[in-house]
Amino acid sequence: MKVLLRLLDKVRPTFEDGGRLHLLHPAFEAIEHFLFSPSQTTITAPHVRDPLDLKRFMSMAIISLVPCILAGLYFYGLRFIAIIVVSYAAGLTVELIFAIARKEGINEGFFVTGILFPLIMPPAVPLWMVALGVAFGVFIGKEIFGGTGRNLFNPALVGRCFLALAYPAQMSGSWLAPATELGGRVLKYVDGSNLDAVTTATPLALAKQGEFVSTAHMFVGNVAGSIGETSAIAILAGGIFLLMTRVGSWRTVVSTLASFAVLAAILRHAQPDRFGPVLWHLCAGGLLFGAFFMTTDPVTGPVTNTGKWLYGAVIGATTVLIRNFTGYVEGVTFAILLGNIVAPILDEAVFAVRLRRLRSEG
Amino acid sequence: MRFKGGYNVLFQGKPDGAVQTMPEPEKLYLPLRSERFHFSSLSVEEGQQVQAGDVLATDPDNFDIPLLAPRAGRVRLEQAENHIVLESIEGLPEHAELDGREILHAEQKAGTAAAKREALVRLGAWQFLYDAHTQALPDPTGTPQAVIVSTVSLEPFLVRGDVLLHRRLLNFTRGLEHLQSLLEYQPIYFAIPDIRSEFADLVRNHIRGYAWVKLLEIPLVYPYDDFAILARGLELSSGNGPVWAVRTEGVLAIDQALTLDRPCLTRTIAIGGTGVVSPSHIEVAPGYPLKAITDKYVFEPNPRIIDGGILTGKVFGDEALGIGTECRGITVLPELKEREFLGFARPGSDRGSFSACFLSSLTHRIRERLTTAMRGELRPCVSCNFCEEVCPAGISPHLIHKYLYRDLIEEAAQARVDLCVECGLCSYVCPSKIDLRAQFTEARELIEQDKREAREAKAREEAVEETSA
Repeated sequence: MKVLLRLLDKVRPTFEDGGRLHLLHPAFEAIEHFLFSPSQTTITAPHVRDPLDLKRFMSMAIISLVPCILAGLYFYGLRFIAIIVVSYAAGLTVELIFAIARKEGINEGFFVTGILFPLIMPPAVPLWMVALGVAFGVFIGKEIFGGTGRNLFNPALVGRCFLALAYPAQMSGSWLAPATELGGRVLKYVDGSNLDAVTTATPLALAKQGEFVSTAHMFVGNVAGSIGETSAIAILAGGIFLLMTRVGSWRTVVSTLASFAVLAAILRHAQPDRFGPVLWHLCAGGLLFGAFFMTTDPVTGPVTNTGKWLYGAVIGATTVLIRNFTGYVEGVTFAILLGNIVAPILDEAVFAVRLRRLRSEG
Repeated sequence: MRFKGGYNVLFQGKPDGAVQTMPEPEKLYLPLRSERFHFSSLSVEEGQQVQAGDVLATDPDNFDIPLLAPRAGRVRLEQAENHIVLESIEGLPEHAELDGREILHAEQKAGTAAAKREALVRLGAWQFLYDAHTQALPDPTGTPQAVIVSTVSLEPFLVRGDVLLHRRLLNFTRGLEHLQSLLEYQPIYFAIPDIRSEFADLVRNHIRGYAWVKLLEIPLVYPYDDFAILARGLELSSGNGPVWAVRTEGVLAIDQALTLDRPCLTRTIAIGGTGVVSPSHIEVAPGYPLKAITDKYVFEPNPRIIDGGILTGKVFGDEALGIGTECRGITVLPELKEREFLGFARPGSDRGSFSACFLSSLTHRIRERLTTAMRGELRPCVSCNFCEEVCPAGISPHLIHKYLYRDLIEEAAQARVDLCVECGLCSYVCPSKIDLRAQFTEARELIEQDKREAREAKAREEAVEETSA
């Protein structure tokens, strides 16, 4: 490892001010700090720091997505890898351009966006759309607000929302029937050209026609849908890990799912022949994936704990409403983006109450 | 009383309960500045021979608190900048344990409260008192609304109450009685650890008879021993007058001053941290040469030596030669030497974290080998809310940070940055490595300055009005 460090020290001047490649300094720095923890030390009190840094923080989110990635690979094959590679390549380019322009380091937050985005894509989506979507999401959803930490909207969802509005036919027609054979599609590359695999019907779309896929199938994941969102059990495994690390807040997840379940139960109770059962709805579509991995994004959600409860309630309730009362079959993306909009207001309200209480103290 | 937030940073080098006596030094280096005091008015001349307990200098801004000569010796003023050096030190005469005659003498000496307070200032015991809200020295002639006495010391690693009280519990309770005699009817809140330890029981038994002492059991979580937090928790608002606060060493010094009529000339301090050979407590005179201590205890070739605890202490500068009169502990940390390969990706069974992102959170919490490493890059705030969870003052560090980032000092004041107790926990836990504590300190100073200027401007205006009238 000493050799590697010496090599980095040797090429460092090339990337520093005055060096030939000084424009690429953010890229060099990202690689250096990926390999070796930074050499900065504390200056004033506190003289020690917690071992947690943003790399570790974001790594936890990525690790929690591993079950979903594996499930996606199993059900939809090697093409998923291609989507991931394209997503990272396109997104990283945008991120790097902005890092250079802003003279800041590359933010770790992107690495989560870069893997979240492929997981919410239809499996047969054209690769150029993946590149376009992630670039749009990172650019409009994040960079123009000032980068990770300052963005208002979840970049992955902004990208998906853009694609859904700009290319509705491809986005709703690129579903694949999941693998049914025992070995899955781990070694197969299946895309839209393989016509007998293409299907247009996700469970939620079928439900609009009054046909309900079995909940057990949705729990395991062998239904049509976005790559990462079909397998409830994989989402739960990764999601619970995320909550255990305290990177994602359990309050948001519980609140989202609870408000969703309560409202869905009320609807079901009122008109059982028109609305699906609660457990079925919980496992269908992107709800679980969104609740565990999208609403828990700390940046775009509220900071305060009270705010998180309200935020989840807004998202859960909105999802039920969009699913059951609009022309869209799925509403998680819109619901979370709506939640992102109200999050600062919720925080503002909580702070207002808190500051009024603090005013009299001390 | 309810506590919020708080967190115990665990790391290697916790001082044990033993108190080592350091050998008598040849020279003492008494710093003229300490955290609260600046002994700018000298009372001695170059070459003067002084006795132990003589006044060397006073602080005119702090009710003429004296800097006492801890030993007999010859004064040197020019030898070191900002220090009074005492050379040809004579050892302190061994004083016997209290005998009956002395106690009788103390009882007969029916001093009024005012005379007692004067004695406390003169004998160097008053400097152990704090104003709970401002941490400044309280006015010796003033009347507090309440007194907080605390035996708990939670910042790693400062001198601990149980170590100081070992075999001195009688002196302590007598000190409490003296303290009470300074007051009229104001309550004394006595903070002790809530654990069912022998020590806690012992203290409880000892003060059972004192109806005027109100017990306050506080959990052993940093920084619940902070006086400002205790005052707030007890709803002792600063508008109702000052709250005096004093720790174990202060009560013992009061006892020594008022019972024995003796100045407080030695201090017990803790020496701990990752870079210390055998972390312990040591008994030293103020001004004890820092080098003699580090030579004996520090093995690190490149250490950071901190005056105070790990979370709030200040680094001893190059010019610092001796232990100050307010020093409560020395913490030694190794400076970062090696950069870790793939540091962020390690499983982390060897590191303790506030978050649960490391393997160690599945097992028990470990004492880590901490260095001065930042352990991450500076990044924008990601609103993880850890700082708010850990904040003992109940404010929102991330919100105030965002205000300060945009230079909204007014809003930061509205968000009560002034309630910050500078415990340093928010900076410690921040995954984006934002130096929140330093930002808040700066903001508080700015706000204080604004207030002061506003007051002065108002006073000037009134003066002008008066003259024109």
